[in-house]
Amino acid sequence: MWLMITADELTSYIRSAMPDADVTVVDRTGTLDHFTVAVVSDAFKGVNPLDRHRMVYKALEAPRSDGRIHALELKTETRS
Amino acid sequence: MAMQDFPLAMGAAPAAGSGQAVSADEIIAEIKREIGEHKILVYGKGTKDQPMCGFTIETKQFFEQLGYPFEILNVLDNPAKRQVLTQMTDWPTLPKVFINGEFYGDTDILGPMQEKGELTALLAEAFK
Repeated sequence: MWLMITADELTSYIRSAMPDADVTVVDRTGTLDHFTVAVVSDAFKGVNPLDRHRMVYKALEAPRSDGRIHALELKTETRS
Repeated sequence: MAMQDFPLAMGAAPAAGSGQAVSADEIIAEIKREIGEHKILVYGKGTKDQPMCGFTIETKQFFEQLGYPFEILNVLDNPAKRQVLTQMTDWPTLPKVFINGEFYGDTDILGPMQEKGELTALLAEAFK
């Protein structure tokens, strides 16, 4: 069974938790299950890096736990 | 420059493990002992000599270029311990890095810390 998720679907999971988020998705392997994701959101202001990542992991809990996202490199930033 | 890997057993009951009846309290005690024994400790997939996941390899290379001693402990075949680690840290992925007993996530967190010079200061303090 080959599970995958599109960049648009992944982005909408993140925006459901952080509506203002700019999300950049790079498919690392061409198989739509290993991604580099950069999230820029004002929701990260005053939040330490560990908790920023936790916020994104929680937003992506459904596609992570069912295997659609197998691997993720994550970058979290605020707008400058 | 970091990636993560999501344990397939995440959220699953530890019953699918090796059948050993080890309580969560015993596992927590084991983890506390381990993070006390190594100033830099990585819980990953595979060992230092034989890493079995691209992200564990990347973490190994990250610490090798920093030049301080570190250890990698394999939790690939220990779903109960993986689950306890995930609950302790509120962090769903492997590898998981502890420095001086504190949780620092993975190289997604440590890479930017290194670029800002924060990691160098942290390690100098830990190993002084």
